[in-house]
Amino acid sequence: MHRLTVALTLVSLALAFASLHLGIRFTPTAEVLAALSGEGDDAAAIIVRSLRVPRAILALVIGASLGLAGLLMQIVLRNPIAEPGLLGVNAGAAFAVVLLLTSVPGAGIAAIMGAAGLGAALAVAGVMGLALSTATGLSPAFLLLAGVTIAALLNAGLQVLIILDEAVMEELLFWLAGAFVDRPLTGLWIALPIMAVALIAVVRFRAALDVLGTDDATAATLGVDVFATRLGFLAAVAALAGAAVALAGPVAFVGLVAPHLARLSGAQGTGALLPLTLLWGAILAQTADILARFVLYPSEAPVSAVMAIVGVPLLIVLLRRRRIAMA
Amino acid sequence: MTRAAPQLFALIAALAALTLAAIAFGASFMPLDRVVAALVGQGSRTDGIIIWNLRFPRVLLAILAGIALGVAGTLLQKATRNPLAAPSVLGIVDGAALGVLLFLLLFSNEANALTVSVYWQPVAAVIGALVFAGAVAALWWREIQSPMRLILYGVALAALANALVVLLIIAGPVFRASQALIWLAGSVHTAEWLDVGVLAACLGALLVPILLMARPLDQMRLDDESARATGLAVNPTRGAALLLSVLLTAAAVSLVGGIGFVGLIAPHLSRLLFGSRIGPQMLGAALIGPLMILGADLLARLAFQPLEVPAGALTALIGAPYFLFIMFRQGQAHA
Repeated sequence: MHRLTVALTLVSLALAFASLHLGIRFTPTAEVLAALSGEGDDAAAIIVRSLRVPRAILALVIGASLGLAGLLMQIVLRNPIAEPGLLGVNAGAAFAVVLLLTSVPGAGIAAIMGAAGLGAALAVAGVMGLALSTATGLSPAFLLLAGVTIAALLNAGLQVLIILDEAVMEELLFWLAGAFVDRPLTGLWIALPIMAVALIAVVRFRAALDVLGTDDATAATLGVDVFATRLGFLAAVAALAGAAVALAGPVAFVGLVAPHLARLSGAQGTGALLPLTLLWGAILAQTADILARFVLYPSEAPVSAVMAIVGVPLLIVLLRRRRIAMA
Repeated sequence: MTRAAPQLFALIAALAALTLAAIAFGASFMPLDRVVAALVGQGSRTDGIIIWNLRFPRVLLAILAGIALGVAGTLLQKATRNPLAAPSVLGIVDGAALGVLLFLLLFSNEANALTVSVYWQPVAAVIGALVFAGAVAALWWREIQSPMRLILYGVALAALANALVVLLIIAGPVFRASQALIWLAGSVHTAEWLDVGVLAACLGALLVPILLMARPLDQMRLDDESARATGLAVNPTRGAALLLSVLLTAAAVSLVGGIGFVGLIAPHLSRLLFGSRIGPQMLGAALIGPLMILGADLLARLAFQPLEVPAGALTALIGAPYFLFIMFRQGQAHA
């Protein structure tokens, strides 16, 4: 297990390093190293320093936090296919962004990111709240359908807003396509503390999370405050997903796939899954970000679309396994 | 059936009234006497042009699309015995949208004009819808006893189609993207007689097969075992119903875009009014579907004048909460 953690760490760092080389123009390693050590002020060095380095860091952080959000969601909702991307985060964020742009024309990137994060967090919280308020709410199918329906509702609202103010369309497309490009790193000052708090909480309450994975009655017998634990970690999920969407634009499937890749190696229990999930999330996001540069070369493809194209087949493979119980 | 006659009469009357209203209202209001005069060819020349070239095709297209989606939804729910199954939930709409976008991209020249006839657009939609619906059906076929799996596979593949749609939209120029987004939202505002003709032809061609499906589908009402006991080939029937549903949906989507939730809610409301026998329910859905789209389109024209919202946005704004309500009731029933 330990060896795997080290190997995954190395892979994620290697991918991040590779991502510094790749783009519309390939930058040789010597130039990358020169740029990193602060030498060289030619175009290549500037591209590496001001574009590719922030992008690689963002992909690592966002990937890890999406993986964490997915893991928490799957444990707390006892639902193997729960993940923020399927539960309306993107629609919530897009709706909030458009709402902001129509009411405050010319809002800056910071305001847009704030709106996206808030919208995303509210949408996830709403879907999870809906699901938890019914008897069968924990069934995977119910949660998924609730997410899809809320997303349809938000999209319809978004379409109305766009028709009323067509100028918003271009900014929305820019945001949709955004991904890890051109996002100010200052956003990390919000994302990193959220992640730190969530991580500390997970480590501190990992035993409670393990018990919560069995069933509510058992957990209550063992002295876990089921309601408070669930609510607390779902709030963490909403915050993590909101921060990720604010920084990276629409996201998909990393939160679903990363925990399952972690489980593939036989790891059990929240404590063992945590580091593997974080690493897999970072690797997935970094890979998607690299692929996104070449899918529509020379234009950038939206990372969320690349993630979905990789993630959907994986979801289907997971569904085909009998282990996932359906309602 | 006789018991349901008042409801049937009310629906037909509502549809007629809404049709007249949809012709009368628009960028300029036209009093009813002028509408009637223009319809019988006696009104002024401008009235005639507005009615015959602009509003009438639009109204007819809305009605035909409503029929197609309402019937498609009924077939789907009957064949899968799943009240949550609907064209938009099962990836059919997204698949058709992907087909149309690919078509627009592949057969456009430098000036963004189509290089082949627009007649082929429904074909592209049908191919896209068939590929995705076929994949969903193939995945579900081996686990046919689990209705929820169907939904899960549908949602997964719809997400895939959607990601590909986003890729295509981003890859194209911005004005094409906004065009595509508006089309995806679902609207009948660009209706022409040509569209009406194409959709009417599709519906006409599918009419006989749909009528032939009624009896076998009624036999499938309870469960597969009892259906087999009546001598029915269950899976071929189910496959045929799915195929018909896909064809109907694709034909409608290719012309009016992704008008969501009609195929889901029309059969549901119809069942409340007419019960679950397939004949009355399908007839009811074929009346409620047009009512929904016509009503949404009329509202879309009037609510934000002089701007027009896509009708699909309004059907979703009304349909999504209703769908959640159905889900909740189901959830309560299972508990």
